[in-house]
Amino acid sequence: MWLLLAGGIAAASAGGAEVSADAPTDLSVTVYRSPYRGSGSINLDRLGGFALISETRTVRLPAGISRVRFEGVAEGIEPASAIVTGLPEGIIEKNREGALLSPSALIESAAGRPVTLLRSNPRTGKSERLPGKILADAGGGVVFETAAGIEALRCSGLAESFSFDPVAGLSATPTLSVLVQSREPAATTVTLSYLARGFDWAADYTATLSRDDATMDLGAWVTLANGNGVGFPGARTQAVAGRVNRESGEVEPLDAGGPILAHCWPRATTSDSPQLLQIDLTSLGGGQLGARKGIAPMALAAPQLADMMQEAQRVEQEQLGDLKLYRVPERTTVAGRQSKQVRLMDRAAIPIKIVYGADVAADAAAEAFPAVKLLRSTNDAANHLGLPLPSGSVAVFAEHRGERLLERESGIRDLAVGEELEINMGASPDVEITAIREGIDATSAPAAQRDVSERIEISNARSTPIQFELRLRLPEGARLMRADHPLGQKNGRPIFRLAIPAHANVTVRYQVRHSAG
Amino acid sequence: MRAHLLAIGWLLWPMWLVAGSSVCAADRTLSVTIYADDLALITDHRDIDVKGGRQRIEFQDVSAQIRPETVSLSAADIGIVEQNFDFDLLTPAKLMEKAVGREITIVRVNPATGAETREQAQVLATNGGVVLKIGQRIEVLRDDGLPVRVIFDKVPDNLRARPTLSVTITGGHAGIRPATLSYLTPGLSWRADYVALYDESENKIDVQGWVTLTNSSGSTYENAQTLLVAGSPAQVDGTARPTNMRYSPPPRPTVQQAGTESGSRERLGDYYLYPLAERTTIANLQTKQVSFLDVRGVPAEHGYEFRNHWLGSADAPQSAKTIYAFSTSAHAGLGDQLPAGVLRFYMRDKRGNPQFIGESRIEHTPMGSTLSLATGDAFDVKVRAVVDRRTRLGPFDWQTDMRYELSNALPKAVTVRLLQEGLWGDARITAESQKSTRRSAEVAEWAVTVPANGRADLSATFDTRY
Repeated sequence: MWLLLAGGIAAASAGGAEVSADAPTDLSVTVYRSPYRGSGSINLDRLGGFALISETRTVRLPAGISRVRFEGVAEGIEPASAIVTGLPEGIIEKNREGALLSPSALIESAAGRPVTLLRSNPRTGKSERLPGKILADAGGGVVFETAAGIEALRCSGLAESFSFDPVAGLSATPTLSVLVQSREPAATTVTLSYLARGFDWAADYTATLSRDDATMDLGAWVTLANGNGVGFPGARTQAVAGRVNRESGEVEPLDAGGPILAHCWPRATTSDSPQLLQIDLTSLGGGQLGARKGIAPMALAAPQLADMMQEAQRVEQEQLGDLKLYRVPERTTVAGRQSKQVRLMDRAAIPIKIVYGADVAADAAAEAFPAVKLLRSTNDAANHLGLPLPSGSVAVFAEHRGERLLERESGIRDLAVGEELEINMGASPDVEITAIREGIDATSAPAAQRDVSERIEISNARSTPIQFELRLRLPEGARLMRADHPLGQKNGRPIFRLAIPAHANVTVRYQVRHSAG
Repeated sequence: MRAHLLAIGWLLWPMWLVAGSSVCAADRTLSVTIYADDLALITDHRDIDVKGGRQRIEFQDVSAQIRPETVSLSAADIGIVEQNFDFDLLTPAKLMEKAVGREITIVRVNPATGAETREQAQVLATNGGVVLKIGQRIEVLRDDGLPVRVIFDKVPDNLRARPTLSVTITGGHAGIRPATLSYLTPGLSWRADYVALYDESENKIDVQGWVTLTNSSGSTYENAQTLLVAGSPAQVDGTARPTNMRYSPPPRPTVQQAGTESGSRERLGDYYLYPLAERTTIANLQTKQVSFLDVRGVPAEHGYEFRNHWLGSADAPQSAKTIYAFSTSAHAGLGDQLPAGVLRFYMRDKRGNPQFIGESRIEHTPMGSTLSLATGDAFDVKVRAVVDRRTRLGPFDWQTDMRYELSNALPKAVTVRLLQEGLWGDARITAESQKSTRRSAEVAEWAVTVPANGRADLSATFDTRY
C-alpha cells in the first residue's frame, strides 16, 4: 500500500515542473444572453446566459515539459471550450481538475495515508497529537485508526479533528492547466479564452408616453450580470445580441466539496422523543449560477436617470457576422455576483399609434371580454428609430399630474431595422367585445353547407375615439360570405379595422360559410 | 510513559499492516480504451506473487464503478476459483452494527478532571441507539451526553474503505509472474470539441479539433496508455442509457452529402481509433483535452436557411438560421473524418478579437462529406410565413395558398434557402412565384434573393389530397 502511493506521487510529478501563469494583464468579457429567452429581462437567480472570457497572461516557462496552471478562472467555465494561444511549441494536453480544495476533498485524498489526529482534553483544553490513519473517507462518516485501535470521528463527544500533510493537486478555485513543452526557458504572453456559464444580459427599455399619447421617448440600458464569484477588473466588455445556438453539452464533473459528514452509529438515547424526518435542502453545485435570491435587476431605476444621462457613455454597436455586438466604450470592472448597466440608446418623440385589438373565433359566441391595447411604431429613421433593438423588457410610463407613473411592463423581441415595433399594453377594460351567434342556416343538397350569422359588439367607454382591429380566426375550409364593414387581411387572417367614437358602441355583422366539400 | 508506549505502537505499525492484507504488487501498467458513450475498457498489466495453492488477491485500485461481471484475470499457470466484488463500505454505523454481540472498549472521559476510565463492553443492539452490556449492567451509549470514546480492535473483513475486487486463484508453481486484469467501467467518456475561426472577408475557416475526455468514474488512472474509439458499442444489459421520452422535433440534418473517402487513421471494425501519443494520467473528475486536428484556410460558405413546417404561420417574423457549410474532403476540405462532438464558431470583431458566434453538434462524419451547420439566428434576416387561404376543393382535397415575406436589414443582398416541409408525397405545387426544387417528396426548396435593406415575397399554392 505504501509503495503504491509513493508510485502515484512520483507519476504525478513526472508531468514536469509546475508553473503558475501570472494574473491576467488584459481581460475581455463578452456576454451572450440566454438562448431560451425570447424577450423580457434577466433573472438574477437564474442566469441562463454565458460569456466568452479572454485573458492575457504572462507565463515563464522553464526548458522541457511543464504544467502551466491558470488560476482564478470563472467557476462556470466550460473546460472543453478553452483555447490557449501564444505558447511556443504547442500544447501536449489541457486539463481541468474537478476536485476543489475542501474539507471533504482533504479527507478523501488523505484516506489510507498517515494524518495527525488532534483531540482536545476537556479539562486542560490542550490538544493531543496522535499519529493515525484514515480508513474510510467522507462518504458515510470517517473511520480512523490510531495505535489505540479503530474509532469513528466525532462520535465520542470529544473535540476531534485531523491535521493533514500538504496535498498536491487540489486548488481553491477551478483551475485549468496545460502541459506544454519548451526548448528553452522563455517568458511568453499567452491568451486564454473560454466560455463560462452564469452570465446573462438584456436590454431594459423605458418608454415614456407623451401627454397626448401621440409620441413616446424610448431609452434603454444594457443590463448585464455575472453570477460567478470571480470578478473581471478593468475588462473590455461587450454584449452580443441575437440568439446563438448552444448545444446542451455534457456537464463536466466538478466536486465543490461538501462538509465532512461525521455520521456515527445510531445515537438515540432513552430520553429522545421521536423526530420528524428532516430533509436537507442544500442543493449540490452545478447547473445555473444565480447571483442572489430576491434581488430584482435594476431596470426600473432607469426612467428618472434617463434625463440626466443624455451625455453619459453609450455602448457602441457593430456587426458580428449575423449578430450585433455592443461594446462598452471604456474598460470596466465586471465584478463577481454583480449586475451592471450601461446606456444602450435614447430616442425622443417617436410617433406612435395606439390600437385596441381582439382575436375572436369567427363562428363562436363569447361573453364580453376586454380588448388588448397595443402600442405601435416602426423601427425606421422616419420614426426616429432605425437601429437594431435587442430583446429585453420594456417599462411604459405615462404622466399623471406631473408624476411619471408605470403603466405597463412588457417585453420586446429582437427587432431588426424596418420591423414593426409593437408593445403589448395588456387588457383594457374600457373596450369590451361581445360575440353573438345570430343564426345558423344549414342545407344538405346539392352541397352540404352551413351558414353562421355572427354579430360582434364593441363598446368604448373612453372619452376619446379609438382605433380598433378585430381579427377573425376562420375554421378549416370556412369562408367569409359577407360583412357590413370593409374587410381587410393581415397575416392570412380576415381583419376589420374600425374607428370607434368616444362613449359609443359599434356592431359588426358577417356571415361564415362552412362547406363539407 | 503513555506517550512512550504510543511511540512504540507507531513504530510497529507498518508490520501489522503488511501482515493483514494480501495486496498485489504495486507496479502496474494501465491501458484505457474509451468509447464515445460512457464506457471504457481498462486493461491493467501487473506482476502478481503466486504462492502456489489457493490464494486470494485483492484489487483495491480498480474503477469505483467497475462492472464486476466483465472482469477477467489472466496469467500463466493459474486457475480462477471465484471472483468477488465487495461493496459493503466501512462507515461508523456499519462498524458498530458488525460489532453486535462482540466486545468493544469504551473510554469514559471525565469532563471535570479529564481522567479516562476504560471498560470492556459487549454490544447488544444498534437499533436507534447503541445498547451495551457492561459487566452485568445494561447501558445506552452516551445516554447522558458525556464524552465516551468507542474503540474497536479491528475492521471486520468484509467492510472496506472502497468497493474492492477480489479474485481467488489456485496457483501452479510459486513465483512472481505477469498478469492481466481487464474490465469494463462506465464513468469515462470522450467526445470531440472543435474550434472554427471564420474569416468573413476570405470565406475561409481554420478548424482545430480536440478530443475531450472526462473521468467521473471515481478513480484515477495513472500513466495510462489511452486509446479513444469513435463509436459506441451497443450495451445489451441494463446499463444502457435511458432514452429521452420527451418529444422534440427532429434535429436539423448536419451532413448534406455523406462522404466516400477513407483516411489514414487506424480502425477497429467500423470505428476509427484515436490513440493518444503519450501516456497520461487521467485523474478523477478531470476533463482532459488533446489536439487531433489543425487545418487552416478551408473554404467555407455562409448562408441563410429557413424551415417552415406544414401550415406554419406566424404573426411575428422569425429569424432565418445562419448556416456555415464546408467540406471534410481531402481536396479543399478538412481532409479528415470527424468524430462526433460540438463545433464552436468564432469570428473576429472590428478590433480583431475573436468572438463566439454559436455552436453546432455534429455526428460521426466520414471524410469527403459536406457539412452544413446552423450557428444561430440571423438578427437582420427574417421570414414571416403566412397561410393566406385554405380552400376545400373536394372531400379530401385542399388548396393552400402560402406566402413567405422575407426581409433583410443588412446593407448587402442575401440569399435565403427557404424550405417548406411536411409535404408528404401527395402535395403538388400548382402555382408559385419562383421556381422551386423538390429535394424530396417531403420538402420543397426555394433560393430567394433578398435585396440589401429590402424585402422579397414568395408565394406558392399547394394542392393536397388525403
